Amino acid sequence: MRAIALRWRRSLAWRVTTTILVLSVIVISLVGTTIYNKLSQGIFQEKLNTSIYDATTTTRSAQLQLALAPYERQTTVAKIVGDILSTTSVESAGTGRDVALLPFPVTARQKFTYKGTSNQLSLNSIPVGLRTAVRAHSTPQWDHTSMVYADGKVDSGIVVGNQLIIPNSGRYEFYVFFSLKQQSDTLNLIIRNLVIAGLGLLLFIALLTLLLTRQVISPLREAARIAEKLASGDLEQRMDVHGESEIARLALAFNDMAVSLNQQISRLENLSRLQQRFVSDVSHELRTPLTTIRMAAQVIDEAKSSFDPVLARSAELLVAQTERFENLLADLLEVSRFDAQAAILDIQKIDINELVRRTSDYLDPHGDRIIHLHLPQHAVWVEADARRIERILRNLITNAIDHREEGQVDVTVAEGEPNVAVSVRDYGVGFSEKDRPFLFERFWRADPSRSRIRGGTGLGLAISLEDATLHQGTLQAWGMPGKGANFLLNLPKRVGDVLGRSPLPLVPEEFTTAD
Amino acid sequence: MSLIMVVDDDQDLGEMLGIVLHGAGFEVEVVDRGDLVMERFRKSKPDLILLDVMLPGVDGIELCQQIRQESQIPIVMLTAKGDTEDVVRGLEIGADDYLVKPFNSQELVARLKVRLRRTTPSASGLRIGDLVIDENAHSIIRAGKSIPLTKLEFDLLVALAKDPSRVFTREALLSEVWGYRHATDTRLVNVHIQRLRSKIEIDPENPELIITVRGVGYRAGGTGVREK
Repeated sequence: MRAIALRWRRSLAWRVTTTILVLSVIVISLVGTTIYNKLSQGIFQEKLNTSIYDATTTTRSAQLQLALAPYERQTTVAKIVGDILSTTSVESAGTGRDVALLPFPVTARQKFTYKGTSNQLSLNSIPVGLRTAVRAHSTPQWDHTSMVYADGKVDSGIVVGNQLIIPNSGRYEFYVFFSLKQQSDTLNLIIRNLVIAGLGLLLFIALLTLLLTRQVISPLREAARIAEKLASGDLEQRMDVHGESEIARLALAFNDMAVSLNQQISRLENLSRLQQRFVSDVSHELRTPLTTIRMAAQVIDEAKSSFDPVLARSAELLVAQTERFENLLADLLEVSRFDAQAAILDIQKIDINELVRRTSDYLDPHGDRIIHLHLPQHAVWVEADARRIERILRNLITNAIDHREEGQVDVTVAEGEPNVAVSVRDYGVGFSEKDRPFLFERFWRADPSRSRIRGGTGLGLAISLEDATLHQGTLQAWGMPGKGANFLLNLPKRVGDVLGRSPLPLVPEEFTTAD
Repeated sequence: MSLIMVVDDDQDLGEMLGIVLHGAGFEVEVVDRGDLVMERFRKSKPDLILLDVMLPGVDGIELCQQIRQESQIPIVMLTAKGDTEDVVRGLEIGADDYLVKPFNSQELVARLKVRLRRTTPSASGLRIGDLVIDENAHSIIRAGKSIPLTKLEFDLLVALAKDPSRVFTREALLSEVWGYRHATDTRLVNVHIQRLRSKIEIDPENPELIITVRGVGYRAGGTGVREK
């Protein structure tokens, strides 16, 4: 049932064929029934007319015979009655014609009464209502009946009743039965033929519908298939155009649409490529003058001991800001590389522990004990791009140091299967739930009034997320105002593996239990 | 005093490089057009050439190739694009090292000093496989025939041959041979190992003198180390 409902929804051909078939069945059965009714009525009426005529003639000739018989000789009358009962049936043997003779109730009290049927027909075959009607009218009366015989045979038929007068006896009811067997045989034949014709017609309609819908639907199916391919990015797909039918017009319109879609897309691609190239070119063009500025700044900075304090401080600022400018430029270039999808992984087998240690040493060279490492005893090997992973670690740890508010920074590494996780936790300012969606956005700053002082580029987390994604890894953040933040990096240990459960929690344990 | 030829079309940067390098104790000659380089190069015979990759006229890669045909002197490339194929192509053609703009003057001077460093000859003659390393003559001899190597390739081979039992990581080689403090661009090492192999190995596809230790780095092969 569900399968049918599904096909009904899915297949237009199925729907059209089913609808047409159901309608055809209704129409054909209506027409068939009407034809049958008309025919059977006609046949019956015809039979009824001849039957009444036949019965009238038979009654009249019997009456005539009886009228001519001698009045006093009862045996002669009995013989004539016997003849009437036998000949009327013999005459038309095989047509199922029988007769019955019954006296009126008043007549039954006479000295001589006659009663009988032909061919052992049971008197029960006469409907009670008809008997009353016959006695009441001198005209022929008729009714439907079942002709029941003594041997158990039953035949449907009609019975016509007349009054008959037998001399020296009285009024009688005289019935002539006509079997409808022949007519019902004819009607059965007609039904059989009608059913066969109907079924044949139905089959024909089904085939025709299937053929026609296929003719209309196969181009539609083709269009649907091609549209699906187009939607999945294969912009070169086109429909075949045959002739000038509606289908052909559909195909033409479809192809036009595909062409203009293709043009639009390539125009947009071109635009975005141009824009990316522009960003990249600008960044590169800035590099040469920046090199000169930076070298000049360094030359000035080296000589600052001979400057007065204002000049010396200016030289320091110049060097620091040049460096910041340079970092910003490098990050911008990296971002433009991601946008152009030109970022490529340089995969090596690396020990995450070693990388974390190296990054920590680099960021905390004086061993100020700000960064606390929690590393597994053994090496944790990962197939990854060392430069990118180191950049993620550097960004996360720098970020944590910037926001730690004098607290420590915990860096934890844990190995699972198939993930490796690194979490960087600080106990500083944290961030609110409403800030969470923007954390990884470019140039986004949680608190514009304070963060800019620290001198980050505002691209660090955005790049880290891109780097993690490039490794098929994830980078998530948890934070609570005043309670600090936790950044969790998950990487697959082998290239192409799908990440599983993180071996480290994103939300620190002290906050999960409180919930 | 070493003479450094600076090739850069940006005159201000050229001048600035001149100031910095002069301050570091080098003699400097600045050339701002690619098509003048070969002529000036032949005339003044610099000890090192600092070459911008993107030059109008003749580009840096092509110049690098032309210089290599005539000389084994150190070539250091300057590039604005650290990520492009240009760098790898330059290295493959024979540049020894590269600096991505904007670089810092200390880093620049440090690298140039490493490139110009005179290797102090070790007491005993070094051998690696069937090669004899003559540190005084700066040459490699196989069966009496000298094999020409650039100074960097020579340094790389000496570093490996001096400590034949050690497996050098790429990072270690970067710091010993190139003077990098912390860098992860190991392409530099890979490219030069390939170049060196193509010059000294009998079959560079199946190296026997410089052996790759998978997942770690390289070590000297042949008789320099006991085979297990």
